[in-house]
Amino acid sequence: MSSTAFGILRSGYVARDTFVHRLDGRTKFLFFLWISLFNYIFYDLYVTIVSFLVVMSLAFVARIQRFVVTVLVIIVLPIVLLGVGIIGGPFGFAHNKTAIAAIQVLGFTIGLYLEGTVYVSVWTSRLAVTITAALLAYVTTHPSDLAAIMLKSRLPYKFAYAFLATIQLIPILTNEITTIYQAQVSRGLNVKAKLIDRFKSIIVLMIPLTLGAINQTQIRAIALESRGFSAPVKKVMLRDPVLKASDYAIFAMMAIITCFLIYLILTRGLVPFMVGIEYVRPGG
Amino acid sequence: MTTGKGTGATTVEKPAGFAILQIVLIPVIAALNYVTGVIINILKLPLFMDTWATMFGTVVAGLWVGAAGGFLYNIIMAFTLWGLPAWVWGFINIYIAVITWALWRIGWVTVKSPAKLVAAGIIVGVTNVVPVTIISWGVFGLMPTYAGTAWIYAAVLASTNDTLSASVVSSIIAEIPDKLISLILAAVVASRMPARFTLRPPKA
Repeated sequence: MSSTAFGILRSGYVARDTFVHRLDGRTKFLFFLWISLFNYIFYDLYVTIVSFLVVMSLAFVARIQRFVVTVLVIIVLPIVLLGVGIIGGPFGFAHNKTAIAAIQVLGFTIGLYLEGTVYVSVWTSRLAVTITAALLAYVTTHPSDLAAIMLKSRLPYKFAYAFLATIQLIPILTNEITTIYQAQVSRGLNVKAKLIDRFKSIIVLMIPLTLGAINQTQIRAIALESRGFSAPVKKVMLRDPVLKASDYAIFAMMAIITCFLIYLILTRGLVPFMVGIEYVRPGG
Repeated sequence: MTTGKGTGATTVEKPAGFAILQIVLIPVIAALNYVTGVIINILKLPLFMDTWATMFGTVVAGLWVGAAGGFLYNIIMAFTLWGLPAWVWGFINIYIAVITWALWRIGWVTVKSPAKLVAAGIIVGVTNVVPVTIISWGVFGLMPTYAGTAWIYAAVLASTNDTLSASVVSSIIAEIPDKLISLILAAVVASRMPARFTLRPPKA
């Protein structure tokens, strides 16, 4: 994973005053679950393309499109290229029949096939939709709201703590490893050495990082104890997220579209719009 | 420890020391799994190694701490960079924690016997192919997702016309070195832990 992707998680919440930011966190996470679920039910490129346009439009509204595009380029694009090159290409994907483009080389046909390309496009666009919806929910929801939502959703406060502490720890440990790395390089660590030596380098980077983190664990545990983390009392949050009219409007819209999608499944099956493309099960 | 609660005082009878220490360790394990990606990126290594902290947590603090930390890592990744379906990778981390715990219990996860440690790493890698293939089937449609083994996937697909075989073979090639080196790293780091950092409650 590239440093750009880490930068995105490091930055976490993106403070803006947009319609998406003002929505309740529960609405955004429900939307994320809802759109991901329907994208994995349908095997139809048109459905996933429309879903992708919807989530990308929301990313533009939330003004996080740069984040989203960067993550998609880093995570989804390589899978698209590998998938189209291998499954859509001449490597023997069993469903490939219709050549989109083909050339003859030494008596062999090298081509790009419709069935394999559609298969890869459907699966990767599903990924693109879910990743965009996830980022939309994550980077537009304040961490304090996240904690409050978890407690309101009756999740154990220990889980809420672990989730939020991880999000806080990631940038701390990432900064720490950068410092350790620079210190070790100044002591002679060669990151351009042979593969075996680079594997050995993991140990000299990981031991100080892990022992430092374990040391902090002890301090954090004492701090939590002293603040009554284990006290058998009801935990309260500083923020109290409340559903607004715009949230209910989104719920209503999701309910209407769900009815339409169920109607589509019942009347036209799981491939409602693509003509001439058969449903391909993975490994089938 | 005594705390006020509405009408009267409530006494916490069990000392919370190790329990809270283990809860605080869970996010550390998740974050360590994550930060390993930074190191792999810096060193340009052809592996993932994002389960080594799960193994480490299991060895130093117990099964449920390792499993919870590993699962949490995947939850965080699913809700941020990987997208919703990727949360199922969390089961891989639970499986890794269980098998590491079992191998640790029989004394194979220790730097004191390198042969057993290597054998344990290979066992983890080979057996991990099963859950990896199941998840790859459901989430990625058995597509090639890792450039490092894509050529193996392409070669197997070309000879068998079967995406399942291609996925299994490329997983075996990727998983064995990845899990072997992860387990060795976990055992080495655990062996360097000072005794004062103990994370397991003393046996009764």
